[in-house]
Amino acid sequence: MRLKLNGRFGLLNKIRSRGFVFVEFAIALPLLILLMYGLGNVSVKIFELGKIQLADYVLEEEAQYVMERITHLARAAKEIKPLNDSNSIKIVYHAVDNSENFYTFNGDEPANRYWLFSSEDVWETQFILAYKKDGRDYTNLYAVHRNDIPPSNPITGENFFGDTQLVSLQCELDESKKILHIELVMASLVTNNEIKIATAVFMPGLEVP
Amino acid sequence: MLNVIFLTLITSLAATILFNAAPRVHNPQSTLRLTALYLANEQFAQLESLAAAGEPLQTNFLGKPEDLITENAGKGKPTEFKVTTEVSGSNPYEVTVTVTLKEGGGNFEVKAKRTIWVAE
Repeated sequence: MRLKLNGRFGLLNKIRSRGFVFVEFAIALPLLILLMYGLGNVSVKIFELGKIQLADYVLEEEAQYVMERITHLARAAKEIKPLNDSNSIKIVYHAVDNSENFYTFNGDEPANRYWLFSSEDVWETQFILAYKKDGRDYTNLYAVHRNDIPPSNPITGENFFGDTQLVSLQCELDESKKILHIELVMASLVTNNEIKIATAVFMPGLEVP
Repeated sequence: MLNVIFLTLITSLAATILFNAAPRVHNPQSTLRLTALYLANEQFAQLESLAAAGEPLQTNFLGKPEDLITENAGKGKPTEFKVTTEVSGSNPYEVTVTVTLKEGGGNFEVKAKRTIWVAE
């Protein structure tokens, strides 16, 4: 059998007629671009959504941390008072300080040392301080033992995954019931979402003048 | 053949992106749970105060009524909580505070328990 290579119905002609022609390409390329644009857009939205959710999570977590810290201290407090700036509070609470009180049976041998917990009352002061750091136009909370020097490390804000600011921290003391009502409002600087949590804590050791 | 390969690749890419997005849909449940937990603690504080004074425990909400409404699920979208208190046993009492949503709560529920001794 003779194979016809060239001519009108030749094999080479058939091979040449396969593949994309310009018109097909002109339709396929915009479609591909549109598809890739859509997928890219969805990916960017997902990253944005992730960023927002992470920032909201940080906001919740910081608000909870501050609230836990205040309620924990207030529970053992004998004195609580708001400072001049109503967003700051001073808490004098019961603490056991055993650093100076250890007892040894046999000289100074470390193995025979016993920590002795003092039964005397030891009181510590904690300030939950609202403070605006130099160069920032929003407030963060600081937990410090003295309020006469600028604090350094905030307990809220300055988080890489979502910075936050304090909107308000209000404490209301009901001396007759020995109940402290706390209301904390914080906002995310990434999403501008606000969280407000309120609670109350009973303070059995509160000294009422 | 090439078309089939491309189509498969693009479809699998789209599926991966969408599966990744699914769990990230905004869910206010955790914020509401946090708010509700502190609301339950507010009720416990009030009950402890009553107990310390030797007064009987009450089952109505004793905290601030404005704390029952929150906008944490979205600005301008107030959510109202309902606080239920159950007191069981004898002194010391076992107190259960349940916080649910007043309307359309579905399965939302925060339950907290505490043992409270009433001073005699």
